[in-house]
Amino acid sequence: MSSAESLMLIESMINKAKNQFSEDGHLYLLWGWVVFICSLGQYIGMRFLNIQSSAYIWLLTILAVIYMVFYLVRNKKQRRVVTYTDEVIGATWIAFSIGLFLTGFILGQVLGAKFYTVLNPIYLTIYGIPTFVSGVVLKFRPLQTGAAVCWGLAVLSTFIPVTEHLLLIAVAMLVAWILPGYLLKRRYKNQSVN
Amino acid sequence: MFKELDPILHTPLRLAIVSLLISVKEAEFTFIKEKTNATAGNLSVQISKLKEAGYIDVVKQFRDNYPQTICKITPEGVRAFETYVKNLQSYLNAGN
Repeated sequence: MSSAESLMLIESMINKAKNQFSEDGHLYLLWGWVVFICSLGQYIGMRFLNIQSSAYIWLLTILAVIYMVFYLVRNKKQRRVVTYTDEVIGATWIAFSIGLFLTGFILGQVLGAKFYTVLNPIYLTIYGIPTFVSGVVLKFRPLQTGAAVCWGLAVLSTFIPVTEHLLLIAVAMLVAWILPGYLLKRRYKNQSVN
Repeated sequence: MFKELDPILHTPLRLAIVSLLISVKEAEFTFIKEKTNATAGNLSVQISKLKEAGYIDVVKQFRDNYPQTICKITPEGVRAFETYVKNLQSYLNAGN
């Protein structure tokens, strides 16, 4: 084997590993749709149907968490390769989930019933963080654009009534998670075919 | 003065395995087989040699009652690969 052949072999193997996308967009779609349905459901319930308990629709997220745990366990068993990209993205989303939970808890503790006035603007800001990091690591521009939209909506939320904040969450889900989720799914399927 | 290329790495399949493993955290035997287009028998032999040299770690486990072999590059393997590439570059530079 000549030096040039060795180098070509190294390059080709590194490229094969580099082009391995394990992100199929499934969890983006799961959470995108769940949060979209919950935010829009609560908005419609409160605004048009006058249902005071419409916030209970968020209990759907418990089902989503249970499904996600089963999905991740099954996925871990079936995975044939773990890339450093997978590890960084996984850690980012774990940190995001903890951050989201703690933010909700701290705002509730500090602001009491008024927590609702700042909850969604802050959540929009937090949604943008893992979305942006994932977009950069995966070199996937729709996620980076989605993150920018989340941050733009967070700023916009300070100019509109609190009652309309849930609509911004629904828009953020469409742009930041649902649309990129379908695009990631398509990219993953194309990789499997090639 | 040229340094000798590491004979453990200077064979196509072993170099392919290490190049693949240097780019990922860990990979299963079937994944390496698919990417290197090697036969299972030949791949097993070369993986054993890399393991003996201390360049890769091999973990054998069961998944849903099926045996599974997971390979991961060791820090020694990373060092050997880096040295190999550096020596390779000196050969190529001398040729220019």
